[in-house]
Amino acid sequence: MITIEGLRKHYGEIKAVDGIVLEIYDGEIFGLLGPNGAGKTTMISMISGVLRPDSGRITFDGLNIWVEPKKVKRNLGVVPQEIAVYEDLTAKDNLEFWGSLHGLRGPELKRSVHEALERVGLEDRAKDRVKAFSGGMKRRLNLCMGLLHRPKYLLLDEPTVGIDPQARLAILDIVREVAAAGTTVLYTTHYMEEAQELCDRIAIIDHGQILTIGTLEALTRQSGESEVLKVVGNFDEASANQRLSGLSGLRLIRVEAGTVLAGIDAKGPGLLEILPKVLGSGLSIDDLSIQKPNLQSVFISLTGRELRD
Amino acid sequence: MAALIIVVRDLKRMVRNPVRTALLFALPLMLAGIFALVFGRGATEEITIRVLVYDEDQGLISRLLGGAGASPDMDRRLDLVPVGAEGFEIMERGEASALIHFPAGFTQSYLDGEPVVIPIVKNPAERFLPQVVEEGGRIGAEVLSQGSRVFRTELATIGSMTTNSTFPSDLAVGSVASGVNHKLESLERWVFPPVINLETTTVTPEITNEGEGGGTSILGFFLPGLSMMGILFLAQSATRDILHDRESGLVKHLLTAPVSPADYIFGKCLSVLVVSTLGFFFLVVFGIAVGVDWGPAATTVALVLAASLAASGALILISSLVGTERQADALSTIVIMVWCLIGGAFVPISQFPDFLRPLAKTTPVFWAVDGFQEAMQQGADIAAVSTNLLVLGGAGVIFLVLGAAALRRRMAGGLI
Repeated sequence: MITIEGLRKHYGEIKAVDGIVLEIYDGEIFGLLGPNGAGKTTMISMISGVLRPDSGRITFDGLNIWVEPKKVKRNLGVVPQEIAVYEDLTAKDNLEFWGSLHGLRGPELKRSVHEALERVGLEDRAKDRVKAFSGGMKRRLNLCMGLLHRPKYLLLDEPTVGIDPQARLAILDIVREVAAAGTTVLYTTHYMEEAQELCDRIAIIDHGQILTIGTLEALTRQSGESEVLKVVGNFDEASANQRLSGLSGLRLIRVEAGTVLAGIDAKGPGLLEILPKVLGSGLSIDDLSIQKPNLQSVFISLTGRELRD
Repeated sequence: MAALIIVVRDLKRMVRNPVRTALLFALPLMLAGIFALVFGRGATEEITIRVLVYDEDQGLISRLLGGAGASPDMDRRLDLVPVGAEGFEIMERGEASALIHFPAGFTQSYLDGEPVVIPIVKNPAERFLPQVVEEGGRIGAEVLSQGSRVFRTELATIGSMTTNSTFPSDLAVGSVASGVNHKLESLERWVFPPVINLETTTVTPEITNEGEGGGTSILGFFLPGLSMMGILFLAQSATRDILHDRESGLVKHLLTAPVSPADYIFGKCLSVLVVSTLGFFFLVVFGIAVGVDWGPAATTVALVLAASLAASGALILISSLVGTERQADALSTIVIMVWCLIGGAFVPISQFPDFLRPLAKTTPVFWAVDGFQEAMQQGADIAAVSTNLLVLGGAGVIFLVLGAAALRRRMAGGLI
């Protein structure tokens, strides 16, 4: 189990990570979901023993990574957000180097390299230089380097950034396989869909703090809303507030000139009753969309902002 | 162990990138190659000026002047080739540095005290050698002019003797001899002994290429300095990897493996040192191939190791102090060029103004070049260059320790 207690990292006035407490259970895929700049990468850097926290404690099965780094890191695989491979070396060279650093030697190293390349579908490109690879192939190799030594813990920091949907699906499949084999996975992303599809439990993080933790079902239930309504039109903030705030069963999450986000209370009158009232409110409405409760709506109801903001 | 794995990885990268590796070695090899081409194999051959002499006059004075290069000393430097009118065609083909033409009637006109002209045709393809001939001719003309003024009467008598068909009488010959003697006696006060004596002392051993440590060629004189410069640039290139690793996130990734910052820094320092040392030995071998005698092998090996250590340490220190690859390139290039210029890589220290000489000793380039020169010229053993070795090795270790400490601090501060 990975245990994080009171983790803090400040850069001057900026609180990159602010008192995080977290437990990640063995064998689960734990998602850390948050917008860019929420503090996910800083957290991963501290958990992986690269960036020293200002305060707090990180243990892997009771071993503190900052006290016994080499012992912990032998069981730790990290896939960074940047593609951290030597482009002038071949895929095999990169993996052999990485495997050697993790203590693999001789036939064991060869076998591990072969298996890892096979797992990510790069076995036929083993002897090609990485500089000739596509973005997706480089990402898969990046992932491969984290898996090579069959770690007990795998930390992935936005491993699908900037790749095509097919390569993204391939990476998600590999992560599922690895987790099914017993590896504990910490997966950070700002893609809501990835967290929903992949993770057993999800923590939503913003401004260095965890806003909520739970399974997808628990999180969506927790928001207390059946749907989220988005109204776009030609109106100002004051008139939108005036005309919509009194409607029963509608909770205004964010009101701006031209846009309103509102939650439909699950225990209220219901969408079919509320919708005509919104349309007849006198606001000049151009577009109206309804979202089923999901991580996006959870994030909106918690922060008043959309995940991509 | 992790440090060694990093060294092996870096060497593998060099092997996988033969073009990049070749380019790393290109600068020192190119410079050394240019020097080898300019000065020739070992540069042991002395320069001989080929001058064509077209003596249309065939008189006493023209024959005397035309034979001036026949003395054993002059013969080594001046190749005087008697030619006829075809000499002009030879000059057209650029096969000599200059042609001196004594026109018909030259001797007679000179003896008669009439103005004479000696045309000199220069080879436009050559820059310095025809100039030497022209200056030599100017000095010769001055001497002849003064001689003509002083010995006017005697020369006129000799002139009339040469035109007469009969042999001159004893009295006439005696009269000329007595006149010359008389004038020399009156000139003795100014001419003997000369007012100014020129005394030349050779402070560097004669340029030879024989025997271990017995001397050095021109290429050998410059190669240590050029090699040192090349190694500094090689170390610059190798340390650039540290900054590249830092900027591309590779260092961060490496530190997620069971690799400590100390392992990484030690590995990179070792890697730069190995690359620099290999590069230096490569240049030594190149020097040997083109005829340079480096002196005793043990001294050369010790100096190569010490100089490589100093170069690696210096460049690692520089790369640890800057933030980006670009800053490192700019700063290290300035340091390398200044060190090479004031350290005597291009110009011997003896040519420096007095105030600059002590500064030379503050650079590793000076200690490396000085050590190699000692080995090449005097055949110095390790004990004789121990000061050079200590300064280079000591500076290298200090630079490395400071550089490693600075890198470590950056890593701890999250700057890497």
